Amino acid sequence: MKNLKDLGPLVRKVMKVTFCQMILISLLYGLSYAHSGRAQDLLQKKISLHAQNQKIADILQTISKTSSVRFMYSPELIGSERKISIKAENKQLDAVLDEILTPLNIEYEVFNRQILLKRTASANTPDNTSPERIRTNSLAVIKGTVTDEKGEPLPGVSILVKGSQRGAVTDTNGSWELSLSEGETDAVLVFSFVGYLPQEINVGNRQLIDVKLVPNSTELEELVVVGYGTMKKSSVTAAIAKVENRNLDQIPAGRAETALVGRLAGVNITNSRNTPGSAPTIRIRGAGSITASNDPLVVIDGFPGGSLANVNMNDVESIEVLKDASSAAIYGSRGAGGVIIVTTKKGKTGKPQLNFNTYVGVGHAIKHNDWISGQEYYDYQARYINRDYAWQGGDVTLPMDDIRRPDNMKVNSVIKEGDYIWEDILLNAAPIQNYNLSARGGTDNVSYYVSGTYKNEQGVLLNSWYKTYSLRANVDVKVNKYIKAGFMLNPNFNDRRTAPVSMEAIVKTAPFVSPTINPNGTYPRPLDYWGTNVSAQVSPFATLNGIKNTSSAFNNVGEMFVAVDLAKGLSLRSSLGGNITYSTAESFTAGYATTNNLNAGNATDSRSINLLNENVLNYNTTIGDAHVINVLGGASYQKATSRNAVLTALPGTFGNEIIETLNNATISQVASSTSKSVWGLASYFARLNYAYQDKYLLSASFRTDGSSRFGPQNRWGSFPSASVAWRISQEEFMKNADFISELKLRASYGVVGNFNIGDFRYLGSIGNAYYSPNGILTKGQAQTSFGNNSLRWERTQSKNFGFELGVLNNRISMNIDYYIKRTNDLLYDVSIPATSGFSNTIVNIGDIENQGIELELNTRNFTGEFRWETAFNISKNNNKVKSLGGIDEVINTHTRGMAWLLRVGQPMFSYYGYKLKGVLMNEEDVQNNPIISGSKPGNTKYEDINGDGKIDPNDRIILGSYLPKVVMGMVNDFAWKNFDMSVVMQSSLGAKMYNLENLYYQGATVSAMRRSLVENQWWSEAEPGDGKSPATALSQLAYVSNSDFYLEDASFVAVRNIILGYTLKPEILNKIKINNVRVYASVSNALMLTKKGFNGYNPEGFTSGEINGISSMPGFNNGAEPINRVYALGLNLNF
Amino acid sequence: MMSGCQENILDLTPPSTLTEVNFYKTNADMDAAVLGIYSRYQARISKDWTLTEMPTDNIHRTGYFNIGGLDEINTLSFSPENPLFSSFWINTYNAIFRSNALLNYIDVPTDYPANKKEQYTGEAKFMRGLLYFDLVRRFGGVPNVTSLLSVEESREKGRATEDEIYELIITDLKDAIDLLPEWKTAAKGRASNAAAIALLAKVYVYRQNWQAATTYLDMLDNQGFGLQSNYASLWKEETEDNDEIVFAIKYLPSVNGQDLSTDFLPYFGVSGIAARGSENAFPSWSLMKKFHQDDTRKKATITEYWKAPTSGAEDPEIWYPYVRKFANQHVAGASGLDIPVIRYADIILLKAEVAYRLNQPAEALAQLNKIRERAFGSAEHNYKAADIASEDAFLDVLLLERQLEFALEGERWFDLVRTGRFITELSEIEWSYNPVTKLAQTVKFKIEPHMKYFPIPLNQIDLASQGVLKQNDGY
Repeated sequence: MKNLKDLGPLVRKVMKVTFCQMILISLLYGLSYAHSGRAQDLLQKKISLHAQNQKIADILQTISKTSSVRFMYSPELIGSERKISIKAENKQLDAVLDEILTPLNIEYEVFNRQILLKRTASANTPDNTSPERIRTNSLAVIKGTVTDEKGEPLPGVSILVKGSQRGAVTDTNGSWELSLSEGETDAVLVFSFVGYLPQEINVGNRQLIDVKLVPNSTELEELVVVGYGTMKKSSVTAAIAKVENRNLDQIPAGRAETALVGRLAGVNITNSRNTPGSAPTIRIRGAGSITASNDPLVVIDGFPGGSLANVNMNDVESIEVLKDASSAAIYGSRGAGGVIIVTTKKGKTGKPQLNFNTYVGVGHAIKHNDWISGQEYYDYQARYINRDYAWQGGDVTLPMDDIRRPDNMKVNSVIKEGDYIWEDILLNAAPIQNYNLSARGGTDNVSYYVSGTYKNEQGVLLNSWYKTYSLRANVDVKVNKYIKAGFMLNPNFNDRRTAPVSMEAIVKTAPFVSPTINPNGTYPRPLDYWGTNVSAQVSPFATLNGIKNTSSAFNNVGEMFVAVDLAKGLSLRSSLGGNITYSTAESFTAGYATTNNLNAGNATDSRSINLLNENVLNYNTTIGDAHVINVLGGASYQKATSRNAVLTALPGTFGNEIIETLNNATISQVASSTSKSVWGLASYFARLNYAYQDKYLLSASFRTDGSSRFGPQNRWGSFPSASVAWRISQEEFMKNADFISELKLRASYGVVGNFNIGDFRYLGSIGNAYYSPNGILTKGQAQTSFGNNSLRWERTQSKNFGFELGVLNNRISMNIDYYIKRTNDLLYDVSIPATSGFSNTIVNIGDIENQGIELELNTRNFTGEFRWETAFNISKNNNKVKSLGGIDEVINTHTRGMAWLLRVGQPMFSYYGYKLKGVLMNEEDVQNNPIISGSKPGNTKYEDINGDGKIDPNDRIILGSYLPKVVMGMVNDFAWKNFDMSVVMQSSLGAKMYNLENLYYQGATVSAMRRSLVENQWWSEAEPGDGKSPATALSQLAYVSNSDFYLEDASFVAVRNIILGYTLKPEILNKIKINNVRVYASVSNALMLTKKGFNGYNPEGFTSGEINGISSMPGFNNGAEPINRVYALGLNLNF
Repeated sequence: MMSGCQENILDLTPPSTLTEVNFYKTNADMDAAVLGIYSRYQARISKDWTLTEMPTDNIHRTGYFNIGGLDEINTLSFSPENPLFSSFWINTYNAIFRSNALLNYIDVPTDYPANKKEQYTGEAKFMRGLLYFDLVRRFGGVPNVTSLLSVEESREKGRATEDEIYELIITDLKDAIDLLPEWKTAAKGRASNAAAIALLAKVYVYRQNWQAATTYLDMLDNQGFGLQSNYASLWKEETEDNDEIVFAIKYLPSVNGQDLSTDFLPYFGVSGIAARGSENAFPSWSLMKKFHQDDTRKKATITEYWKAPTSGAEDPEIWYPYVRKFANQHVAGASGLDIPVIRYADIILLKAEVAYRLNQPAEALAQLNKIRERAFGSAEHNYKAADIASEDAFLDVLLLERQLEFALEGERWFDLVRTGRFITELSEIEWSYNPVTKLAQTVKFKIEPHMKYFPIPLNQIDLASQGVLKQNDGY
């Protein structure tokens, strides 16, 4: 054993860059590798070896396989072709290594299960000691520094003159020096280091060559975080996707999820409401539940049940998504929607580092461009009025202001005068800014990561914002050889004001309404211009100023743990964590902001405390040479309590509108209350990972959960899983297939659960029911739901088949996964006969199936000075209702006529309505076609599906689905010299949107009009339009909106983000004494292409959300916000 | 330690919600449970007009479509899928469940003060009778549920006959008469002995059991009931508790209000009444034209000319007829105006009807003219014996008077159905009217005899076991 002190910096460096994750996990989970007693064990391990004239590299690889150790060295150190012979019979590993390495002047050191090879100290001047050294006249001395991706010096990097055996190795400061002979000026230097991509540099005339190495992200030894531990990526047997935070924190967005868009196959992230701070919907491999939540479980640093709202991208190290049941089953109880594991940055041993990251940007809404105003607007209004007048039998030839016309059939010429485009007035450039300062460092015994962030995202709409203030502290302490402890704190405060209305309510404001303020402080309303027939709408400014919806939340996730090494290979980790949230929401509505001139207000305070204790035993062992076993067992207890207080003012009771708090109003007895709830979860789990020769891999887990949400008889659910993988590329017969670097087949099966139905649903609850006998408000009570003692866990079984291929040293790697996910015993608010007293009750009935295929393709297109990497993914999911517990279908019809259908054999919540065939052109058409009673010329001509000569509910058919058929994502990363660029694209094909908001832009209630929505309409027999667009008006919706007329193809291709960065050269950095400086510019939503005929702002903008119970209307859009294009400039500093 | 920890986590009880396990234990619980029955009825009755007024010649639809299925009711196309049928069915059976639950647990508490147990039992039976009367008049025979059913039992529950349902109603109401407190002592808005008598009398009229009807109608004499002298005062909150109200559902403004008052107002509201209306239906010309100019009920029922609240003082009023009956001053959607279930005026007209059927035309005429005189403030427009000379003539007069007196109060459809007049009266209706051209918009409907019953809601048929719940003929 050599002097550890000398090697310290190098070793720390290597650990840091290559095995950071491993260390992190050993700290976290108490795997007992990282103390020196362990190193002795490893070196004393007995091995047998026979080698006859073999390359040293191959011999080392053989040792590595049979004894589960790994060697780290730069290739130059050993010499690629050098061959030796050795014979060892049951000898200690250190003796064998000494025999091989000493003659080569190579010494070694052990860390974790890694053995680091290094040139012996006395021989550490490469120029003099290389046996193959060619003596030349040293004409040029070139030198430089090698740094890692973060700008930190990288020791131990080998530099080789291409085509020779000459080279150098960087010292602890990452510096190197090399003499070149005459005629070698055109030499190419090859920089290589384990865990990094090799880089070739043309020397040219340069004497100073600074190089930044890029981590090899497809390196097989990459670790992925799984539930309660980590695994080598190569050993993973399940469908797990991973995103590392390379530049994710540079995407200007209020929420962490946005940065993940387009990066993961099978993980669909949609931002249906684009208001500051709004939560995106995440669906992993489709939705399987109707009543219970489909949201994935979010696990933050091992704490399940967190929220991505409280995750700050700057602090994120990596995000893993457990997609199939076999990987999620270890979180059994709540894994049905998949599991998202967020790992935050931890302290690192070494020199303290200070990072400052910031971006400032400005967002612009992507608007419509076809508004009608002025004279043309008047003309369209006149056509509108005349169409109505004609239907009533009026004489449309009368001039518009003729007194013979009824008042509501006249058009006021005042509307010609204004041409205000309210969309332009309301949507303004909105700044976004983010500042993050973090410090990271540590000694051998204590390491820390602390960070603070301030983020301010303003909305494009007046008076909307989302501000975040957060701190994070992760501290790890190594108490002694056997005990480690750690603390994590993440206080987070956010403050938000949201617009009280959706877009259509304000953007539809007619162009003749002035945005100026009246002398008396009020805002002009449409009615002020044209009294008759106009909507009662107030000015959007009155709405946006007069309704104050604010909310703020303080949240802290805190955790402490102790990890103890109990025996060789056996460790225990015990943790106690808490997720505490206090939130308040206040709303005040001034009288002038409403159509009925009644002020209103309410205030909500809530608090929730979620405590978790987890205890995990972990055992690792290797039996013989080839059997690697990891066993884990644990118990977890979680209890969450919440309290909610609501105060509501009676409408119109604020004494004045100066004081907006509720002490200035009369409190409503019925709508004010406090309430509490509680739930608990007790879980026991175990997992076995077994690998034979790193070729045959097996993983099996079992978890059982007890939940207070189910009755005593059915409280417990069990969730088993098993998965296997075969690394064909490790087989002997594949050894010659050099171009294949990885070939793996995977198969898995697992069961996960869902209990997201709210507390105490198994009990029939008694609710308040008010009545007013004798004119006195009196609280009555009534049973409001059926009890169901047999309520039990919803179970999702999934099968997954995976195929992984890496070729050309993983320059091209591909993953294909096929899955069938079947949700049984659906927690489903099933409809029941009303004679029972209720219309529905929650039961376990029904099956939903999601079946799909996912492909991920990663390529390194160029690897030289110009680098280009592409990550592409495509996924297709088919959703199907398999059973609804005895009934064939459930139809949920909206008042506008469109229905959402649950039918066995069809995707959940398909659109169900009438098929538009054309337009009833004239009275004759009305007579000769099957119609809905009352139809007039201009109304829809419907397809008579059953051919019975009339249009009735039997003629309704499935018209499509809100679900996309295919979702794609692509990320391209480029680097050239000091420049880097990243382009993220996303595409979704085949989804349909029910764009009911169109009606507001068609002039109903004398609102703003969009040319694309009115120009092709049927206006009269003389102006029949394109024959496909029926007459629209509020009064005609019964003949339009029940058909596919408002269904639009919401397919899109988007460039979600482009980042262009520039890193300052080291020579400049050295002068200003900063490790690293990077500046970048980014554009979000640079391009959004939608199909012709799509009229919404946002192809993902569903205002009714996704699936949220039996009455869901996914795909319904009535005023979703526009998408913002955000331009931002950013700066990263590292000291 | 582990099991202790586990119990602590899993054996939890709801901290803020009572459950069926710990409720129905005391007198106070049962009092609250009775209010629960009224509460459901209170929520339902304000939308009853969608089924009982919308298909008649009293109102027609507007350009606003806030209520799914309303348009089909308006055009008399009754489809089993119509959500209005199923929501009525569901709400009514939910209230029946609440009544059954009360009766099921009535013996549990031991702390009843004197007469309370009887009162609660009587209230639950009265309400159950009323609820089944609502059902049987709309659907004919319906499932007869008088106990708490499991989901499985409810799936097997088929329809009883119309006669069986009436038998149940009559039994419940007779029990209620014996158990309920006197009208004078009962709380306003809660059932009284008189309310049960009145309802039972009405039930007997529907059964055409004139003898029994007259017995019960006569029991209401000398109880203190009488007609209000001013018809319009019935629709004012200040005077809503009066001697004409046999039974009404009570509301309080804002905190426990109804939306019926808002339903018929113009969208832009009416000055002094409400800032906004739902404009769900307009009065039909068929109704409007039947009011005599001097009939005080006309002004109390319909306003013809309207002015937007925001228009200037010099702006003229425009022809925009709307239902005025429930339009007291209120906060939109939360009016405090009570909704009568049985007015004494109804008792009087039932007496007229029964008297005529029992061959006492003079008595019938006297009762009719009580209503007539109140409406006109004088005897000038009283009916003469000649007006009711034939049975048909009497029916014409009776139905007209009931239409004008109870317009928008949910009587018209049932009156037309039970007298067999719905086919003739509703085949042609005048909806809107143009005062300039003096022309009304006439619409024609094909009414068929089977439409006297609404269709059983299709979703309920589907939810019951195959073949258990049978559809009405013709649908």
